[in-house]
Amino acid sequence: MTDTIAAIATASGRAGLAVLRVSGPEALSVAGHVFRGRPPLSEAASHTVHHGWAHATTDARCLDEVVAAVFRAPRSYTGEDVVELSCHGGRLSAERLLAALVTSGARLAGPGEFTQRAFLNGRIDLAQAEAVADVIHAETEAAHELALAQLAGALSRRLDALGDRMTDALAEVEARVDFAEDVGGVEVPPHVVDLIESVRGELNAMLASAAWGRAIRDGVRVPLVGRPNVGKSSLFNALIGEERAIVTELPGTTRDRVTESIELCGARVTLSDTAGLRESADRVESIGVARAWDTLEESRALLWVIDGTAPIDADDHEIARAFAGKRVLVALNKSDLGCVLAPRDLEPLLVDARWSAAVSVSAVRGDGLAELRAALAQLIEAAPADGAGAQRSIALANPRHADALRRGAEGLARATAAAAAGSPGEIVALELRESLAAIGEVTGRAVDADVLDRIFGRFCIGK
Amino acid sequence: MTIPIETAARPDAASEGRFDVVVVGAGHAGCEAAVACARLGLHTALLTVNLDDTAKMSCNPAIGGIAKGHMVREIDALGGIMGIVTDRAAIQFKMLNRGRGPAVWSPRAQCDKPLYSREMLALLAGVPGLERIAGVANHVRLERGRVAGIELADGRFLACRAAVITPGTFLDGLIHIGSEKIAGGRIGEHAALALSECLSELGLERGRLKTGTPPRIHRDSIDTAAMAPQRGDDPPQPFSHWTERLELDQVLCWLTRTSERTHEVIRRNIHHSPLYSGEIKGAGPRYCPSIEDKVVKFPERTTHQVFVEPEGRDVPEIYVNGLSTSLPADVQREFVRTIPGLERAELIRPGYAVEYDFVLPHQLQATFEVKQVPGLFLAGQICGTSGYEEAAAQGLIAGINAALQVRGDPQFVLRRDQAYVGVLVDDLVTREHREPYRMFTSAAEHRLLLRADNADERLCEIGHAIGLVSAGQIERVRAKYAAIVAEERRLARISVVVPEGERPMRAIELLARPEGTIAGLAARGVASEIPPAWSDCIEVRVRYRGYIERQQRTAEKSASMDHVLLSVSLWEDELVGVSREAREKLRRWRPATVGQASRIAGVSPSDVAVLMVHARRGRANEAPASVEG
Repeated sequence: MTDTIAAIATASGRAGLAVLRVSGPEALSVAGHVFRGRPPLSEAASHTVHHGWAHATTDARCLDEVVAAVFRAPRSYTGEDVVELSCHGGRLSAERLLAALVTSGARLAGPGEFTQRAFLNGRIDLAQAEAVADVIHAETEAAHELALAQLAGALSRRLDALGDRMTDALAEVEARVDFAEDVGGVEVPPHVVDLIESVRGELNAMLASAAWGRAIRDGVRVPLVGRPNVGKSSLFNALIGEERAIVTELPGTTRDRVTESIELCGARVTLSDTAGLRESADRVESIGVARAWDTLEESRALLWVIDGTAPIDADDHEIARAFAGKRVLVALNKSDLGCVLAPRDLEPLLVDARWSAAVSVSAVRGDGLAELRAALAQLIEAAPADGAGAQRSIALANPRHADALRRGAEGLARATAAAAAGSPGEIVALELRESLAAIGEVTGRAVDADVLDRIFGRFCIGK
Repeated sequence: MTIPIETAARPDAASEGRFDVVVVGAGHAGCEAAVACARLGLHTALLTVNLDDTAKMSCNPAIGGIAKGHMVREIDALGGIMGIVTDRAAIQFKMLNRGRGPAVWSPRAQCDKPLYSREMLALLAGVPGLERIAGVANHVRLERGRVAGIELADGRFLACRAAVITPGTFLDGLIHIGSEKIAGGRIGEHAALALSECLSELGLERGRLKTGTPPRIHRDSIDTAAMAPQRGDDPPQPFSHWTERLELDQVLCWLTRTSERTHEVIRRNIHHSPLYSGEIKGAGPRYCPSIEDKVVKFPERTTHQVFVEPEGRDVPEIYVNGLSTSLPADVQREFVRTIPGLERAELIRPGYAVEYDFVLPHQLQATFEVKQVPGLFLAGQICGTSGYEEAAAQGLIAGINAALQVRGDPQFVLRRDQAYVGVLVDDLVTREHREPYRMFTSAAEHRLLLRADNADERLCEIGHAIGLVSAGQIERVRAKYAAIVAEERRLARISVVVPEGERPMRAIELLARPEGTIAGLAARGVASEIPPAWSDCIEVRVRYRGYIERQQRTAEKSASMDHVLLSVSLWEDELVGVSREAREKLRRWRPATVGQASRIAGVSPSDVAVLMVHARRGRANEAPASVEG
């Protein structure tokens, strides 16, 4: 990292301001070539802001009126010298400034390179670096807050604290394995088992938030599926609050998939109206039906729309065969016309689903829509089952994190089981070490257990 | 070629000697190194100040112990000598941790100190190609940047192609007893000052460490009736894989305890301890604290254990294990006499602390060759370790590698999943060291693989390939494991007698249970077909098979990183993508493999990923060169 990089930090498009960021050992001199003001940037103190004019370095033409913010290493975003130049918005101003910076010796930054430098300079850890991308890409307020909390290190701090307690447990076990003559007693005493179990409980609580976190971060796709003419398009329009899908009384009106996003409990839900699932002789409709089947197969969560005024038929059974392992919310539509179906009639069709619920609605009158929205939030796991608000700031949004913590929790469960079975201390220690390594994967910190320090601090060792 | 043995007789003799390898120092490291070199066919000199001071046990009179015993078994399986000499000189054998898990069962043997030296001398005398020379090493002579020979204090010069330096605690050694300070590495012996200076001239960065030893008490002045006797195992289990039978009359040791009165004497005199007056600058081992340390740091403890151990059958010295101290001699006498059984104790020698220099081991390769001085190998306490076993392990590895280098053969490095010896070497060359390094089982992440019972299975083939384990020996090991595997297969086929109504069960299923034993199988109608001495081995293999296989899988994963080499030229590069902290550490340590790099503190998993890319790129660049070569 010996070179100095520059890039436009704000999105392209019409705006009042644009910001360019320069980072690297030559950031002050590179930006100083372009910036004319008092004092010269090379003499500016850290964390100060200066007004001035930007000039092209080649012919001294004035490019724009700018404000320069100076951050000296290591107290900057990247940990290097950083200058941020605010110029007027619009494409041209910023691009000409960037060209001038490159002429002065900066290199165009690659995607994510500022964050990479922050990471490499030890300013942020792996979990925080990942959070930067999440902050930028967040599309709902909840997703944004979640990513911000992770960026601030909430997840890393929590995991460090858990790792610390696990290392304590490991030190207790290792002390009894390596220094039996000094420490003695059972190798895994009850207070150590309690310690392991309490950490496992916290890991599990964090894991319980994983589905919610993922829903918040990535959003969820929910297709509306069902037989033709059960009111999928009407319900779709009712949920999104506008007439997007064409609604007729003719079965098979919807051919192509229509999608629209709504926000539910902080998560972005992309609803898609699909063609009614039936055999069709119409070529265009049959392509739409095939796509609808594909959508059904691919989705983890579905909204199954049923005509509540008609009995279940063979087509419904055919559709329900695809539900195995999925989360399925049933909308018993046309409640305004008097339902012959009750939710319990559907139970046999939903036995293979991973989760299911049923709500009566009338798409045309709007009856039951509020209940349907609430059920949708549960369908996509945007509403935490335990309602644990405190957990929200450190929900596991990232599947990589969730996987690592799951392995960590499993290792702790095996450690407890081994201790209960009277296995030797080295077996319990083996499981604890594997768990620690799994936790360490999230923060990217190598697990330097430092077990000996703890042993010597706690026990009188040595003859 | 004749080498003058008696330096005193001909002080001005400047005779030349020409060797393949010169080993400086005949302690536990030096003896292993010299014997390995000579047995590998090299003309080897073992240089020591006084020929009788060979393999002296400067501190406790025991070989082995937790994790250390494992290493002795490993040294033995690789073709080293410590296990054999221990079996010949031991006066009490004990398997420690027998009540714990199998990975930490550790053999230990109480030894007769003078007998240990005599047995070692006898063994050395029988090794062809090994010459023992009395003299003081002053200087390592370099020619064209590599070792050319050792200059002696009396003017003689021993030419060699590689040298192994094993000075123990003698590098600038300084002994403390209360406020009294004596230059020396062991009480009554001089420090190696010139050699110390020479290593400084070579530009080796050094640190200072401290260790200590308890007072020695006269055998006739203790009251054994007031202490709890400690017996050895019956029957005793030998250390060496090659010892057929042990026949000895085992001695007793005793256990007693300090009291509040003891602690009161120590507290009252604590200002006389050079540890607390600031006289001692070197870092001492936390696992082996002085009694004053224990009293100060754990004030809530009202008593500490003291093991009373004879230093031999026919010597008056009794070692009081647990009373290491550097308090003044009169204070030592006073607090010793507060301990039950030691009320009339007479001190033969006071305990003392010794400070000495060591070479920061990041300057060493995993072969113990100094990175910047080709042909110069270091081993033992000079590398920052403590313990006879740690020293012997390094001596063996350094000796083997010195020999391989002189012969022009590729170097030899054990992995962490192969041996504690591998863990020791790797820890030394990848970690920061703030105290004398001692082996613990917790240092080995593949602990279940590195058991004392399977050292032969792990390492004899390697020792044989190197040339230190004979054809006859390796045949015995192969036959043993063939028999064990056959027995496992047999136990998987046949069923045990089960009570009426229970489901039938294979013998191996019963053996796999926590309570399953070979003896238990016999009671259920399945008599063992292997010698009883191998029962442990087969029980552990069967009972912990699942865990052992898991550790084998993780070991394979980490071993793959140890096979990715990092070229030395890499450290001159910019190391793009590596974090700042890691870059500094990597340039200091200059690890030879990605595996070593990954274990340096401050090098994160993402740095390791980047290094993998550099390693691959480096290989691609080097490929044409190696084709030409």
